[in-house]
Amino acid sequence: MKLQIKRLISQIILFFSANLGYPGYPGLKTGFCYPFFYCQACPSATSACPLRSLEQSVDKGSFSWRLLLFPLLIIGVLGVLTGRAVCAWACPIGLLQRGTGRVARKVKKTSLARKLGTHKAEKYFRYTKYVLLISLVIVTSYLIGFIFTDICPVGFLTGTIPVLILNPGKFVPNFFFPVALVIFVLFFILIFLIERGWCRYFCPVGAMLGPFNKISFYHIAVNAKECVHCNVCSYVCPMGIDVPNMHRDPECILCGKCVTACPNKLITFERMGR
Amino acid sequence: MKKFFALQVCALVLVSGALGGMFALTPVYDEVRSGIVLVLCLSCLKLEPKTNVVFTFETADARPHPEFVLENLSLGPVFLHYSGDACAGCDVMYPVVKDLFDIEFGKQDMFHSIINFENTSVAYIYVNIHHTVTELRDAQVVYDKDHIGGIPMFTIVTLGYDNGVVKPKYTSVYGTLTVYGSETDAQRLVFLQQLMRQSIEMYNQNKAGYPHHQ
Repeated sequence: MKLQIKRLISQIILFFSANLGYPGYPGLKTGFCYPFFYCQACPSATSACPLRSLEQSVDKGSFSWRLLLFPLLIIGVLGVLTGRAVCAWACPIGLLQRGTGRVARKVKKTSLARKLGTHKAEKYFRYTKYVLLISLVIVTSYLIGFIFTDICPVGFLTGTIPVLILNPGKFVPNFFFPVALVIFVLFFILIFLIERGWCRYFCPVGAMLGPFNKISFYHIAVNAKECVHCNVCSYVCPMGIDVPNMHRDPECILCGKCVTACPNKLITFERMGR
Repeated sequence: MKKFFALQVCALVLVSGALGGMFALTPVYDEVRSGIVLVLCLSCLKLEPKTNVVFTFETADARPHPEFVLENLSLGPVFLHYSGDACAGCDVMYPVVKDLFDIEFGKQDMFHSIINFENTSVAYIYVNIHHTVTELRDAQVVYDKDHIGGIPMFTIVTLGYDNGVVKPKYTSVYGTLTVYGSETDAQRLVFLQQLMRQSIEMYNQNKAGYPHHQ
């Protein structure tokens, strides 16, 4: 079976297993945190969003080490084993972006997109997700109690919208709704314009998983000595990585598109080693 | 190469051991389940439930009233205030309720007091979902008449007359009360005062027939 079909099956299975919490169908509500970005406010969610646990752990100057460590350790175990593969093989938002990627790949061919994509500032813009994680999820929760989940576009997509659809007329928007709606619209435009735009620049969970690529057992290795730099791998990479020069890049989501695309089979999945 | 492999193994042992230890030795699983997964922060949902304020005898899923409510009901109406950490809506309502009863307590405290509200005793019970005991947390489900499952939630239990029997009667309101036309703190305070007065009136009409009444 082709690798990308296997990945699609994995994404679909994990999407359904993340949604076994709908009352009665079968109503599985656990005390785990998801290792990816998904909202516990979704009527069928089985687990908690890791960001919610983090911001609750430091809410307004309080400190709960258990709520802080728990999501980090769940992400840590998966991170050490597979790096950021969760983003490509499990995350429902990744599955959504896989769907919107077709449009984004067409946009990528335009000259403006190429110019922006290759601009030297682009690689620095990728640090936004780390800034978001530290500032919006941790620091503002600790200092002023402002909470990222109040305006989270993923929460809006997976929590607010399903609740509104399943309970027509039962809820009205609160004061965060207009702000969250604007951010959600921007999020939606982003994922249509830039392939994996959310994962590249803004996902705080991706920011937690990314550094584990440096030490993960499972990773992607490039045989740089024999590489002819045809750049087919970089062209197909949904994260826009310069694959031939990549070594355990924190941006790599191990989707395997470069592995499949390399005409000389010089890019491989590795289980051990550097 | 071997050093790097050793580093990987150490990292895996460390994180998996720490995670296993947390599961085995701490109540974190229950904390996440009962404090995050089962109870929604309504402001995080960006929505306010549109429910009515009618007092009813029917508890959610016909569950029995908790014993601590029945006991406190012999003194006067019971006001249950459900709140939580990292909940903007709870933060909006917290000072309003403190003004309502003219009391002071910490947001993460467990607080219970018999309060004199307009010359009537009212049992005020503050429940921060993330810093409470199972008995109090479970009571939220009993009074979640609209099956919202979210915080902030306010329940007023009083007495009503039903087919010859005096029984506990209650109402629950949710969120920051904007759906009830209360946009400002002053309006929220007035809304809760009116609700309290209504419950006291019902209580006074029926207290003589309440079996637990002192």
